[in-house]
Amino acid sequence: MSSVKISNLEKAYGNVKVLHRLNLDVEDGRFVVLLGPSGCGKSTLLRMIAGLESVTGGDILFDDKRVNDVHAKDRNIAMVFQNYALYAHMTVRKNMAFSMRLNKTDKKTMDEKVNWASSILGLDEYLDRLPKELSGGQRQRVAMGRAIVRDPDVFLFDEPLSNLDAKLRVQMRTEIKDLHQRLKTTTVYVTHDQIEAMTMADEVVVMRGGYIEQSGTPMEIYDNPNNLFVAQFIGSPSMNILKCEVQQNNGAQSAVIGDTHFPLPTNSSLQVGQIIHYGIRPEHFHVSTQAQHGSIVGTVKVVEPTGPETHVYLNIAEHSLCAITRDRIELRPGDAIHLQPDLGHVHLFDGDTSNAI
Amino acid sequence: MTKRALPLRWLTSEHPLPWLFPVTSLLIVFGLYPVLYSLWLSFYKRNPATRKEKFMPSWNWEKLLSDERVWDAVQITFTYAFIALTLQLVLGLTIALILDSDKRGFGVLRALMTLPLVVPPAVTGMMFLLMYDSSFGVISNSLYSLGLLSPSTPILGTGSTALWGVIVADVWQWTPFMVLIMLAGLRALPREPFEAASIDGASSFQAFVFLTLPMMSKIIALAVLIRGIDLFRIFDYVKVMTDSGPGTATETLTAYAGTVYFKSANFPYASTVALATLILVLITASLFIKIFKVRF
Repeated sequence: MSSVKISNLEKAYGNVKVLHRLNLDVEDGRFVVLLGPSGCGKSTLLRMIAGLESVTGGDILFDDKRVNDVHAKDRNIAMVFQNYALYAHMTVRKNMAFSMRLNKTDKKTMDEKVNWASSILGLDEYLDRLPKELSGGQRQRVAMGRAIVRDPDVFLFDEPLSNLDAKLRVQMRTEIKDLHQRLKTTTVYVTHDQIEAMTMADEVVVMRGGYIEQSGTPMEIYDNPNNLFVAQFIGSPSMNILKCEVQQNNGAQSAVIGDTHFPLPTNSSLQVGQIIHYGIRPEHFHVSTQAQHGSIVGTVKVVEPTGPETHVYLNIAEHSLCAITRDRIELRPGDAIHLQPDLGHVHLFDGDTSNAI
Repeated sequence: MTKRALPLRWLTSEHPLPWLFPVTSLLIVFGLYPVLYSLWLSFYKRNPATRKEKFMPSWNWEKLLSDERVWDAVQITFTYAFIALTLQLVLGLTIALILDSDKRGFGVLRALMTLPLVVPPAVTGMMFLLMYDSSFGVISNSLYSLGLLSPSTPILGTGSTALWGVIVADVWQWTPFMVLIMLAGLRALPREPFEAASIDGASSFQAFVFLTLPMMSKIIALAVLIRGIDLFRIFDYVKVMTDSGPGTATETLTAYAGTVYFKSANFPYASTVALATLILVLITASLFIKIFKVRF
């Protein structure tokens, strides 16, 4: 196992810069998730760590040793690809043993390792099958088996679950996390699915347009997003954002959009007339059918019961919002609904820079 | 609904016959009929003096089996096909691997590579005939100056080198075909298994042996089959360049069939030799398909 350090890393294809002076520290044994929308550079970063892409500038260090010019085959990493990248003409056993066959491991060790990996991954009965005879989830497990038999210093996952159906994805998510807890190998995992990031990571690195927007534990990022992008990217349904003007009313400040006044936390140091983005997560509204002191009224558009909670999509003035309630309230489209924001969980962002205030 | 006339009813139904009819009739007229006619012809004995033909079904076939020139021709055909195929396969795969690149200019190189394919084989034969010419041919003169060949043994005029001379022309013309097929295969290979292999610790040579070759095996087998069948029918280069000579040193089966047909005008026996080529191709190709498990 080893730590991975990225320092001032840059990548450019011709004149097009895709990664801009990235810095990242992955401590030994940690599970780090690179999260971002398509084209943010997360896969490129991962492939650079793997040695599949050249480095334009900056350094990649494994255990403080510079590996920029070390060939992929000499980095002692293992990678799981989005479409599994299995060797189609080899059986499951041969797929898993391929790396050992290349470095001429003796047959006994090879069998032991393959059997160990297949028992962890539940592949015992498929060892002599070809990849095409397996289901998507089984193929993904073979790809993981191929990775773990190598006993690598670093595990790299490139969107490994995006080709699986929803149920299998949840199951494999747990399996990967369980595997990491058992093997404690340093892991870098790329995904665009924020649920995967939240559920699996020790540390989430949110990327956009070749920059790292924020990194931290999942809850840190969820509770204290640095900027509007991170706030909206993390969380499902995503955070409600309203562009408001700060006004003074009856001795207290409030964020005003149209005729609606959203209460502001008392400790915020805002100036009257300032333009801000008022952010609040759907679950931080108190939802009621009756007017309460300081509540905001909206019109119900769509009601989505999910079982444990109900998602209510509503309109306030011309703006769409979402609120989540765990109470069982009878709501129909067109009904009036009263919301009370939980002031402790209101996020404010600068109107110009979109950074958190 | 009124009942439509029969042809219309057929054409609008899902009956397969109307759709199979055009190609089937072409195959029957241009494929099956000539073969059956040859077979029919091979059952006659021709008397060269009287030019009369007499129905004697086993005459030509018995003659075929005892004809030493046939057996020599079979051996030459096999030698020719095997050497030419091996060279074309190795060269084709090598060139394809070199040209399999997205770098600037490689697209043009790939296009240029196909040029020999558009030259008619007879013209290719003439071209090489000139290049082999012992007084002004560029190939002969180069070999003379390198000391690899002496002017007293011209390439096409010497029994031991004549077949090689013809093979070189064939290889020049048909290697691009191999390159094309191999390139199509190589360009279609998925990239990820190779990345996985490089992470698994494979050198480029190991990746070629353990991944490229097995992944290309079906395409390689198909290319070998197509080229192999073609090589068994080799006629034009031999006809133009050596006319089966010197002696019968380059006489392949089809060349012998041609000689029997055009020079002795023994049409029934020529048909028999031609059919022997067909049988040889069928057996060899079937064995190949069976052994290498080729699927279409």
